[in-house]
This record gives sequence, structure tokens and C-alpha cells, in this order.
Amino acid sequence: MNAPPTITLLFTGLPARADKFLTGISTVALVRLSGRNLLFDTGPYAYRPILQGRLKKLGVDPGEIDTVVLSHVHWDTAANADLFPNAEIVLHEKELAYAETPEAHDAETPGYIGRALRRLKLRPVAGEQDIAPGVHLVELPGHSPGSIGAVVGNALLAGDAVTCAGDAAAGDVRHQRGCDERAKDSLARALNLADVIYPGHDRPFRIGPPIAYLDDYAIRIRFFTDPAGPDEEIQVGSFAAKSFASWP
Amino acid sequence: MKIDLLIPGLPAKTDHFLFGICSLLLLRVAGRTILFDTGPFRIRPMLIAALNARGLVPEDIDTVFLTHLHWDHVENLDLFAHAEILAPRVEFEYAASPRPNDWGTPPYAHEILRDMNVTLLPDEEQELFSGVRTLLLPGHSAGLQGLVIDTGEERAVLASDALWSARDAVRGVPDVAFFDPAKAQASLDRALAAGDVFYPGHDRPFRLQDGSVVYLAQYRYHLSFPFQPFGQDLELEISTERSAKTATLS
Repeated sequence: MNAPPTITLLFTGLPARADKFLTGISTVALVRLSGRNLLFDTGPYAYRPILQGRLKKLGVDPGEIDTVVLSHVHWDTAANADLFPNAEIVLHEKELAYAETPEAHDAETPGYIGRALRRLKLRPVAGEQDIAPGVHLVELPGHSPGSIGAVVGNALLAGDAVTCAGDAAAGDVRHQRGCDERAKDSLARALNLADVIYPGHDRPFRIGPPIAYLDDYAIRIRFFTDPAGPDEEIQVGSFAAKSFASWP
Repeated sequence: MKIDLLIPGLPAKTDHFLFGICSLLLLRVAGRTILFDTGPFRIRPMLIAALNARGLVPEDIDTVFLTHLHWDHVENLDLFAHAEILAPRVEFEYAASPRPNDWGTPPYAHEILRDMNVTLLPDEEQELFSGVRTLLLPGHSAGLQGLVIDTGEERAVLASDALWSARDAVRGVPDVAFFDPAKAQASLDRALAAGDVFYPGHDRPFRLQDGSVVYLAQYRYHLSFPFQPFGQDLELEISTERSAKTATLS
């Protein structure tokens, strides 16, 4: 008997924005089934040591990840696929072809991503299929040429086909950058595939209506504004009540 | 010659990701237009905008000086495929096979650099251009090199991550001694003794005056955290202009 797969969030995506940098706070999820560990997306390089630490805390050795699904190959989703020596890297063949076309690189796709991926054990896929018992890949193009998601039970790991709950509520891809005209259709389709969505840059939510978040988040940021004094610290999310008392 | 601060380094940390926003400088010397480090991907649009604001596009950069091959200094290298890349030989050779626990050096850095027009800097100090000398500052990484620039009026130390932030100068201890702590300490001491004005890897340029850090630039960041789908956004601003502070050396 196979136990149904479970989803554990390693990184909760956030639709945060900043004026002088790209935040790239994307979702990374661990899908565990009997005897197998799948990783859905790997985040930006800026996650690397934290991702390693969180897996370790869960007792998962990098060598025990057998499959990494890349929803797409933007800078903030595909940068850590190389950390898993025994993993097959599953991505859509159109996404790989795009990554391999150096002149195609855009504001979200580094020119070297194809070369970085080529070093790995790749499994390009086309069409929709099960990649593990209870884990079904779906094609959701538009955000990028070969965006894919994974249906796990009643949940959809959506990648950036559903960037955030705000887009789901609006039925429009207001928070996507550089997507093509298929993105709106893929958003609509994604919202019909499951009851619960794990968006690319937001907390998981139940589609409803009404849309309801299933999880809180907390992020702390320290700025060393004074080299000899205390840091300024921002705490957002479930720390909020505490932080706003001290925030000017 | 003038050192043009394209993007000031940001000394900030979170529990969710690494910022990696390092100081990006533009140097014009010996008829060259030199970019000092390329920064992390997250500031790519801002780097392009900063160049545009000076009437430049990435293709106008003919030389890139890479201090070391950590991810947050090389992620925008692909914008400068046409440029001559100056990089420390020790870094380049090390990156072919980084230590297994070295998460700072991307596994593909060596391969990407190998196919570029790269000039490897020897493990000894030299005058690269008139008034521009290399400074060996290993310890944060295997073979980090900075620059000392004689501007005619003073000596500027472009220390990169050997001097992570001004706090390193206040405490006298390197904050991010990533590769070799003993060498990192020696390199911090060396960098602080090498000039009058300092460009840290992840902080604004500063001068040490009567035992205090005096910053030479300010920054302002605006962040918004949406409480979607129905809540309002939380808008936050971090500004050093509001609280321009100086610090006393211990």
C-alpha cells in the first residue's frame, strides 16, 4: 500500500516587492511519498544555504531527493537544482529548449541557466503524466514557454502559473512579469485543477470561494544601518503585532 | 580618476534568503570603462538602469573586474559576454572544484568564465592601470583581490567582501570569514591600512575620521508586503537619510 503523498513547504513564497531589487521569494515544496522524496522548485541561489539547512532539519539528506521538478527555469526557481546528486531533474522540453537558447534570455532567465542545467541528470518531459504515484504533471504555459505544475491529491503546486492569491482573486495575471497571452488561460485552468493552490509567490490557499489562506508567514529582515549600534529590524507576518510597536 | 558608485552594497540579512546586494562600481581609466563586480541577479534591472542613467548599455562595458567568484558577484556576468573579464587566477582554478561545503561558489562559475574573454590575475600584486593596483585579500574566499585606486587626492580601497560592511572596521573583525578565518583577519587589517576611503563589499563607501565611520553615500529602500487577496499592502521604508549616523571605533 502506498501512503498518499504529503507536501511540506520548505520556503513559503511571498508576493513582496521592493523598489531597488527583485525579491524572488518563491515557493519550494518537498513532496514525500513512501520511499521517495520529490522537490518542487529550488528557489533562487540566495536560498542555497537556508535550503540546505531546512532539509537537514527535516532529516532529509540531499542524496535522498530522487526527483526535482522545475516548474520553470527563471532565476528564482531553478538555481539550486544541482544540490541533489541522485536526483532526476524534471522540466518541460520547451522550457529546456528555451534555456538552451542563449539569445532568448530575458529579464528573468539568466543566459547561463541552460549550461548550468546541462551538467545535471535531466528528464525533459512533454505532455501531462504521472511522475510518481499521486503526483501528476500538468502543462501551464504562459508565464514561461514550458511552465508546469504538479497536482498532488487535492492540491496544485502551481509554480508561477498562479503567482499569488491576488491574481487568483482577480482572475488575471497582474503580478506576472514578461508572460505571454496563454498565462491568463493557464491561471484559469490551474484554478480548476485542485481545491488548494500552492502559488509561486504566496502562501497556500483554498480556492473557495472565498479564497482562504492555509498558512501564516513570518519574515525578519535586519539592516545594519549603524555599524556601531543596533540594527533596524523589520518583522512581518505572524511577528507583526510585536514588530509594529517598535517600528517608527 | 573618479569612482562612480552604481549601486551601493546593502548590509542586510534575513532568515528567508541572502540579499547578496554588493557594491557595484564604474571606473574609467586608461581609456577603459570598467565594471567592478557584477552583482546578484536580483539587481540586474537596476544595474542596467544605473548604466543607462550614465548613457551606457552593458555592451559599453569593455572590462569587468571580478573580485571573487561568489554567486552574488558573478550572477550578471552573462550581460558582459563581449568584455574582457579580469579575475583572480586562484579563484578561477579553485572554482573548477569548490569544496563540497562551499555554497558560495556556483558549480558552473568556472565553466562559464572559461568560455569568456578572461584574463587571469596572478597571485601577486600589480599595477593594472595607471593609479590602479591590485590588493590580495584572501580569506573571505580562496583568492579574493581588491583594488587600491590613487584618485590624485586620496587612496580608495575597493575591498569587496574582505571588508563586508563598515561594522568590520568598527569591530576590527571580519563578519563573513567564509573560507579561511585567519587569512580573512589579516586581509581585513591589510585593507583598512591600505588607504583613506573604503568601499566595502556590502555597504556604502565610508571614511574613518577621528575614530568614526563617516558614510559617503546614503540609500533608501522601499518594501511592500501585500496581505493578499483582500488586505492592504504594508509599505515599509528603510532610509539612511533619515538617520544618518556615525559610529565610534572601539
